[in-house]
Amino acid sequence: MQTTASPSLPATRQTASVRAPGPARPYGRYLYLAINIAILVFLLAPIAIVVVFALNPTPFIQFPPVGVSLRWFEKFFASRDFMHALGFSLEVAVLTTLSATALGASAALALARGNLPGARLIVATMLSPLMLPAILTGLALFQTYVLLDVGRPTWGLVAGHTLVTLPYVVRTTLAVLHNFDLRLEEAAQNLGASPVRTFFEVTLPLIKPGVLAGAIFAFIVSFDQFPVSLFLVSPGNETLPVTLFNYLKFDLDGTIGAASVVSIVLAFVVVIGLDRTVGLRSYVKL
Amino acid sequence: MNSTTATRPNGLALFILPSALLFALFFFLPIGLMAVMSVLTGNPVVMPKVAFTTKHYVRMIGDPFYLEVIWTTIRIGLVTTLVALAIGYPLAHWMARIKSRTGHALLLIAVLAPMLTGIVVRTFAWMTLLSDKGVVNETLMSLGFISQPLKLMYTETGIVVGLVHIYVPFMVLTLTGVIGRIDERLEQAAENLGASPLRAFLEVTLPLSVPGILAGSLLVFALAISAYVTPILLGGFQIMTLPILIYQQISANFNVGFAAALGIVLLVISLLLVVAYNRALGLVSGQRELQ
Repeated sequence: MQTTASPSLPATRQTASVRAPGPARPYGRYLYLAINIAILVFLLAPIAIVVVFALNPTPFIQFPPVGVSLRWFEKFFASRDFMHALGFSLEVAVLTTLSATALGASAALALARGNLPGARLIVATMLSPLMLPAILTGLALFQTYVLLDVGRPTWGLVAGHTLVTLPYVVRTTLAVLHNFDLRLEEAAQNLGASPVRTFFEVTLPLIKPGVLAGAIFAFIVSFDQFPVSLFLVSPGNETLPVTLFNYLKFDLDGTIGAASVVSIVLAFVVVIGLDRTVGLRSYVKL
Repeated sequence: MNSTTATRPNGLALFILPSALLFALFFFLPIGLMAVMSVLTGNPVVMPKVAFTTKHYVRMIGDPFYLEVIWTTIRIGLVTTLVALAIGYPLAHWMARIKSRTGHALLLIAVLAPMLTGIVVRTFAWMTLLSDKGVVNETLMSLGFISQPLKLMYTETGIVVGLVHIYVPFMVLTLTGVIGRIDERLEQAAENLGASPLRAFLEVTLPLSVPGILAGSLLVFALAISAYVTPILLGGFQIMTLPILIYQQISANFNVGFAAALGIVLLVISLLLVVAYNRALGLVSGQRELQ
């Protein structure tokens, strides 16, 4: 799976071993490490805090915690609203992943191989939903659905999610395609394979890691998506982040903590799966 | 890219069509409609007579309240960007220079973990930390540093803290790619010639990483000015930013035209940032070709 390593990754790491041992300056080094560890604490402590509150049995958010209980998890899993939202979020995320992966991977193939004029501009356009405020995508789609009088259908929400997740698939697939040895396809065709057979037996298996990585990103981004959903969900049919947000406006109890832990665990399972199957480092590039 | 070797599109080019259709129908058309709505007197579907108007934009420019909202949004974005840069840079530098593979993987997981935790969840975490009876205040009071809880939530400071936490990973990942490309031997050469590590960093690494600083800052700024959840929950509905105002115009006032006009303002600011971001990234790749 290392064949897909992005070219932009620091290739200088190997040269590090030639470093001459400079004069020891321990204080500067300690300060450097101390600052960095403080930053890591800042990044990770809030996530740890969520777990603490999910397990703390008091009815209000209270610190320091007084014990460990699973009552908030019971409340979360017993709540019809939360369970409906969780199910709806998973449904939307799965539909989004399927459409974003199919569209994004084929677009990447066309961009890398189709000799399209203005390919750079098209790539920039397809990546633009990452930089443009998602809340604008939500607002614009909401206004369009109102004008066309289509209501707030699930496909409308999935279309919005597909738009904001497609860039991830395009990017990871393009990264793989750019490191692709074209001679492999030529060899297959020289040996008598038709272009279609070459595609399914050579091209597709080789770009699979990139497509898969994009699909996993698409799933996570869709599952956590908020601003687009905010405009496009209908009352009674909300995604989990919207339900959590509405709950948070009025209540601040451990149920939110439990719901958070469930979604964190879900994201981690997906990411560890990603790391195990295709390797994470190659795709983390902004 | 091989697009320069042959000029005629081949059969594979057709694979772009489904995505092109998606963008046309669900991106360009809606944003175009938003632009149109921002200069109309009403909803052309519901109302029989609509006319062209600039009243939504005039209202925005004429009322100090709306200008104040735009300025608050930009101010929060700027402070968030600067803080994210200040704390993102050291971590990015460590990630780019760390020798052990395991160490690098652990740092990467630490940076990605917050990114993979939803925005609503992370904002909830900061509410539990920053509220009057939150972790920070309880800890400081029990240690006797303060007798009254500090007002951390429902302030711009609280919003900035939350936003920095949410967007600093984007800064780190952008910077670490750029710093990683700077040849470490340049720093060593400076040190061998007698510069202190700090001076070698300030005079060699820092100037070479400026394109990364620009790209990361523009990205974080663009994300921060369009944030909704964090400003509304940590600001407690008391601090108004552009995205909050836009949603309020839709949900409470149902003033679609004014919301569209506000959306266009946010869009124009964002588009300018996208262009600048691509320029900054162009500088990065130009630098890579030089090496």
